[in-house]
Amino acid sequence: MPDRDRDQSVEHVLRRVLSDSRSVLPPSACIDGEILAAWNSGSLPAEQAAAVERHVADCARCQAMMAAFVQMEPVAQTSESVWRRWRLGWLVPLATAATAAALWIALPGNSALPTPVDTASRSAVLEPQSPTADAVQSPTPTAAARSEAPPPALAQERFDARAGNEARKQLEESLSRQRAEDQLAGAGVGAPPPPAAAAPAESAEADRRELAANATARTFAARVSAVLPEIVAPGGAARWRIVNGRQVERSTSAGAEWMPVTIDPPDLLIAGAATSPSVCWIVGRRGAVYLTTDGSRFVRLPFPEPADLVSVAASDDRTVTVSSLDGRSWQTADQGRTWSVLP
Amino acid sequence: MPSWRLPESTVARMHRKARADRWAVSVDDFAAVLERSIAKAFTSEPDMREIDRYLSSLHLEDLALACACASGHDGAWEHFVREHRPVLYRAADAIDSSGGSRELADSLYGELFGLVERDGVRRSLFAYFHGRSSLSTWLRAILAQRHVDRVRHTRRFEALPDEEDSMPVRSDAHRHQPSGYIELMRRTVTVVVAALAARDRLRLAYYYAQDLTLAQIGRALGEHEATVSRNIARARREVRTGVEVRLRDDEHMSAAEIEECFAAVLEDVGSLDVSDLLGTPQDELDPATGETGRRKGAARKRSKDRPEGASA
Repeated sequence: MPDRDRDQSVEHVLRRVLSDSRSVLPPSACIDGEILAAWNSGSLPAEQAAAVERHVADCARCQAMMAAFVQMEPVAQTSESVWRRWRLGWLVPLATAATAAALWIALPGNSALPTPVDTASRSAVLEPQSPTADAVQSPTPTAAARSEAPPPALAQERFDARAGNEARKQLEESLSRQRAEDQLAGAGVGAPPPPAAAAPAESAEADRRELAANATARTFAARVSAVLPEIVAPGGAARWRIVNGRQVERSTSAGAEWMPVTIDPPDLLIAGAATSPSVCWIVGRRGAVYLTTDGSRFVRLPFPEPADLVSVAASDDRTVTVSSLDGRSWQTADQGRTWSVLP
Repeated sequence: MPSWRLPESTVARMHRKARADRWAVSVDDFAAVLERSIAKAFTSEPDMREIDRYLSSLHLEDLALACACASGHDGAWEHFVREHRPVLYRAADAIDSSGGSRELADSLYGELFGLVERDGVRRSLFAYFHGRSSLSTWLRAILAQRHVDRVRHTRRFEALPDEEDSMPVRSDAHRHQPSGYIELMRRTVTVVVAALAARDRLRLAYYYAQDLTLAQIGRALGEHEATVSRNIARARREVRTGVEVRLRDDEHMSAAEIEECFAAVLEDVGSLDVSDLLGTPQDELDPATGETGRRKGAARKRSKDRPEGASA
């Protein structure tokens, strides 16, 4: 029986075993809504967050609660909760990542079942994939693979104004950690399923060959993990993303391919909003407000103060509202020539 | 309440940051809210550095708004209704598009307003908001908790006999017995899954038991979607190899018998549907019929997503 069929067999059993209500722990051990909210926001201390995670891992009731919560969460706001979570409790120690990588390397080859990919059909889990397709798909879901509804027409990136400089520093630290984690754990990224006639990839030598062959995919995966959520224009095809806080990339293929764009001189960039496939506003530290009207070339606009701007909402290429870390807001209707402070 | 008190300077600073005077929240009232929040977060008395760091991480403006709403400030309520009530309704609609959860949202809204009285004192649910998340996140979490508890309460969960009480299966009883293979696989997978790291168990549970998408799991765990995907594939592979090792080493099964074991599951999916017997977290009360049944979303997803012949 090929590994694929064995994996399918395991999936059947997993689905039943994990849905077994007998796994419910006594109610007194369950988390309440306030703990859930704090956990999701990354506000629990590391030890408590780990304890909550251990409990939820075995509690059907709390899993269902988390599932309902996630389903309620508006997609546009998730960038806040995801990135706040990097602050405490969700930082994976490098040693653990190294252990996970060692376990990965020690395992015999790749599953014959392809890596799960979200598509409109979750049955992609059971569908065979060609090696080439797998190498491209695994690091980043393509537009066809996205199961999320398209973001709202006025894409509005939000960064928690209350997090302040501390969160920004921790964001940068956590981005580094995540890059390291993905690089270590990315041994199998893009690895094609072995052909049926191939010898089992159990030897370390076979693993090294595999790792070398996937170097590009690993780098790509690590790079992908270092970006903030994408800034999507109406229609979904055109989008931008801020990479490592200082670079900007653009895609006209709904994220299938990315190209760097000109943004000079770059400051630490934090948020953006796109109003059309060619118009995108990006804001950042020290009053940085950038605008592109052709999709590729960003021009820095004048701004009255060196405030750290963390939020932007735009309606077109002339009118935009930006907000700073300390909660102040400004608006321009003439492409940055004049700004008014909002009450 | 703690025996200690926050320094006045700290409270004043937090009061200013929270813009609490916008809702006429007094410094003393705000101090009480902050101290309650600290008491919730720390099991032992923290030092001032920890307190300062903790207070700086709070959603202070939301905390001030909640405090004002709890004491019945009209302006605060107006602001809350305008900004957050739509959030509640949208969240309710997201988990039940038929509108069935709106009643939950309304009930929650009533408790926030303080319609519930205990010992003659109006008590608001806002007293349980401690600023560790945004107010909208907290509202969604409370609604999720209420929703799940209502579903589980109406599901009439019945205890089942423990596995030990049922007829014991001899270690070699599975030989030549496909039905025995299925139970053996179930037991073995249970043991292997229990040995996984908590986070791996959580990912598998979210994916296989809760039917969340990879993106949703990523949001729940703070991971990139691709990372979730890779880790689920890795964990699934670990389970498979763990099962193979256990069947070989603990059950002393031959390669052929192990093959039969896996094949038996594939051939007999129907009888393994223990969830129909036990009831699963996905079962929900059908508002139209009053009967429990599969979650509509999950059923739709399954029928839409599964190709013919694939596992249900």
